[in-house]
Amino acid sequence: MHRTGLFIDRAGFLQRRNPLTKGTGVVLLVGATFLLPAPLTGIALLVGALLPLAFASAVGWRFLEILLKTLLPVLISLVLVQGLFFPSPDPTTVAVGPLLFRRAGLEFALNTGSRLLIVAGAPLLLFQTTHPGMLVQALTQSGMPRSVGYILLVALQLLPAISERAVGVAEAQRARGLETEGSVLQRIRGVVPLVSPLIVGALIEAEERAMAIESRAFNAPGPKTWIRDIPDPPVERIARMVLLGMLAALVVWRVVAAIG
Amino acid sequence: MAPSTTSQRGGLSSTALALIPIAIAINVALGQLVQSILKLPIYLDSIGTVLVGVLLGPLAGAITGLLANIIWGLTLAPSALPFAAVAAVIGLIAGYAGQYGATQTWWKMALFGVLTGIVAAAISAPIATYVFGGVTGAGTDVLVAMFQNLGASVLGASFAQGAVSDPLDKTITYLVVWAIISALPRRLLARFGNIQQR
Repeated sequence: MHRTGLFIDRAGFLQRRNPLTKGTGVVLLVGATFLLPAPLTGIALLVGALLPLAFASAVGWRFLEILLKTLLPVLISLVLVQGLFFPSPDPTTVAVGPLLFRRAGLEFALNTGSRLLIVAGAPLLLFQTTHPGMLVQALTQSGMPRSVGYILLVALQLLPAISERAVGVAEAQRARGLETEGSVLQRIRGVVPLVSPLIVGALIEAEERAMAIESRAFNAPGPKTWIRDIPDPPVERIARMVLLGMLAALVVWRVVAAIG
Repeated sequence: MAPSTTSQRGGLSSTALALIPIAIAINVALGQLVQSILKLPIYLDSIGTVLVGVLLGPLAGAITGLLANIIWGLTLAPSALPFAAVAAVIGLIAGYAGQYGATQTWWKMALFGVLTGIVAAAISAPIATYVFGGVTGAGTDVLVAMFQNLGASVLGASFAQGAVSDPLDKTITYLVVWAIISALPRRLLARFGNIQQR
């Protein structure tokens, strides 16, 4: 199998769940962070839901590692930019060393940062515990166009090969004297020689692929069969209903609270 | 969508199905390459999207942008997911640029680049504000801080930052696509229905 992105091949609780159930869970968690007003909702959901699920699925440490790696620069930037420059009529400041943080800005940063943990963390956990092929198959079986699934899977498989080709092109052009240093304008001029071999190659390859797609009757109408079965027992379907019910309840509660 | 050389039963043609995944991979690969080798302060992560839009039309362009961000989210950074709508609009506009015949002259492409940049900035600003609190963790955050210090709201500063960086990035993207397309043999271009031929 090709390298498949974030997916980690382990056995655990989430790996045994139906991809659709996990997807519904992601929607509920992300929805909850926007619907519940408390600033610590995100942190509470991370500690109370995502982390236990991640550790029950044997991906706990990898989950934390990737989550922090992607979010740390954003969180630091959030505290610095909004803590120091948040536009607010409230003049209260908090001194941390030589820096004067604005209280309202720090609150905003805490709110947003806590929500980001879930907005990035919930899809991350889904992708770490679901093979992309299974995810696409489950979505296709429940109505997503087959072409969308095809594009996603082929793009995932091509990525390592195209990245390699891109590096190869860059090396070849440098050997021919391409300027990769110097002024910004000089470097911008370097973009075309880097990009065009890749694109011309892609257009030629696309024709071959199109013929392969044609000859295998990909666009033929009628139902298709699947080589693998994704188990979807009644308990999973009930779980999805419950998750969706919780989301609906949150929305109703929020609307009522806003009116009342 | 304009007729293509391969069969099509509603939705995407075989040519589109074949080209879009390659374009997505090129988006991601180039986005990284430009940063690491040329070290330019621009993203250039939508060359594949603009190329597909121009060659195959608004629908194919929008799908390329949307799915490219989902692939980013699946492989590298889940935080790319909220911006999928922006990428879809970039592909959509590129499709209209192709239909309009913008690929004939470089300055029309540059105009579409500026337009795309402004629209992209306008759509990303609310997403950046309400999901990410106005920052992305990249160097452009300095601009956000500067605009807020000048008295802008978080939303206003996000838009101002995008309005500075995005048109430049998208103009270069369009010009690169123009340079490549003009150099292509017409036989190759004829396979893609969207472009207005001279």
